[in-house]
Amino acid sequence: MTTLATPQSIRRPLRAPAVRKERASQLPWALVLLALVVAAGFYLVRAGGSPKFAFIWAIGIALGLTLQRARFCFTASMRDPVLTGSTSLTKAVVVGLAVGTVGFSAIQLAAYLKTGQLADAMKLAGLEPVGMHTVVGGFLFGLGAVIAGGCASGTLMRMGEGFLQQWLVIPFFILGSAIGAVTWPIWKAAFHVQPKGGVYVPMALGGFAPALVLQFGLLLAVYLLADWWGRRSARRAR
Amino acid sequence: MPLASEEAVAHDVRPIAAPDIANDNDRARWRDHETYKALFVNPWTYMTGAVVLALLNIALVAATGKGWGVTTSLAYWGAWIWQAVGGDPHQWAYFAEVKPAFNAPGFNLLKDAGSLTNLGMVVGALLAALAASQFRVKRIKSRRQVAAAVLGGLVMGLGARMAFGCNIGDLFTGLPSMSLHGWVFMVSIFLGAAAGSKLLVKYFI
Repeated sequence: MTTLATPQSIRRPLRAPAVRKERASQLPWALVLLALVVAAGFYLVRAGGSPKFAFIWAIGIALGLTLQRARFCFTASMRDPVLTGSTSLTKAVVVGLAVGTVGFSAIQLAAYLKTGQLADAMKLAGLEPVGMHTVVGGFLFGLGAVIAGGCASGTLMRMGEGFLQQWLVIPFFILGSAIGAVTWPIWKAAFHVQPKGGVYVPMALGGFAPALVLQFGLLLAVYLLADWWGRRSARRAR
Repeated sequence: MPLASEEAVAHDVRPIAAPDIANDNDRARWRDHETYKALFVNPWTYMTGAVVLALLNIALVAATGKGWGVTTSLAYWGAWIWQAVGGDPHQWAYFAEVKPAFNAPGFNLLKDAGSLTNLGMVVGALLAALAASQFRVKRIKSRRQVAAAVLGGLVMGLGARMAFGCNIGDLFTGLPSMSLHGWVFMVSIFLGAAAGSKLLVKYFI
């Protein structure tokens, strides 16, 4: 008699679960670390002269905690559809992008309504130049992240989890970043980069309404595509 | 002389767990509490993670006017290391033309939002791993892993500078900000990841 392979069993090889001794509680260490985190927060307020820095620190801690708890890996969200056909992470990323759009556009809209200037809303956007350099850079980044076993957030999260490979990745990640900065005149010329060449979609389309319709329409399309691909892969695996 | 099959069998035998004497199972423990387990021991769903990450990013923009980013600060770290060994990164054209904040007087690690969130992410993940009693040092097992780390790190760093960001700054902050570069980056990183997957299977596993 044969057992039907489910997508689950394909991702995780079939074998008896290893009998493991329950690890000793690390809770005391967690509490010590928590105390240090709080102390660092107070220090940052004093060093920076503003409570803003403790807030940013706290957000960073929460980001790391969330990434670890959810085992959230952007690299896998891009890699798994190709490697295993699984798109559950991909769909989660799209949902995160949609939630982000709701919040960011509300913040931008508030700034716009205050002055009636789209330029004031644009100041709150994470706007960066777009061009061939985005395509080449994004491609290299995706390639490097899959090989290194983690993207920007994944590398930092896995460092915290104790992966020595990511402790080896980070110095070269930093070196690569510095090389990228030093060689700016070269690739600026090669790709004709305009340092102020960002495209803010509400500005390009003449308002928030068409930009938001396009944004959510595209996100929905990507979600449905990912959902279809995931179902298709699961069917084929059977 | 052991037969090959015997060796294979011997290789497959797992160590049997020692009886758990240290843990007194009759005593109720904090880490067995349902709420604690749901929050800090059992993994969250991907959806929960994505929504919480997005909300944290929104809070960051609402409070500071700037969203979550990782790699620009890695370029700063590289520049500060260069400075520490005697170089002068303030002369790099990149900072003057692209990131003038780097040359502002009094700017340092403790005042850079990206550096603080980066360090926070490492410590936050460590905190979460400890709270779940899941922290463990995972060693590098092969030379291929070393090569992958070196090559992957370098390529990621260079790519992030060219794209003016990474999966966080460009994708998770740029795209929801309705900047066109976020969408272009999403397509490009996907193609790069697809190519990387092929290389990974071929050379690094």
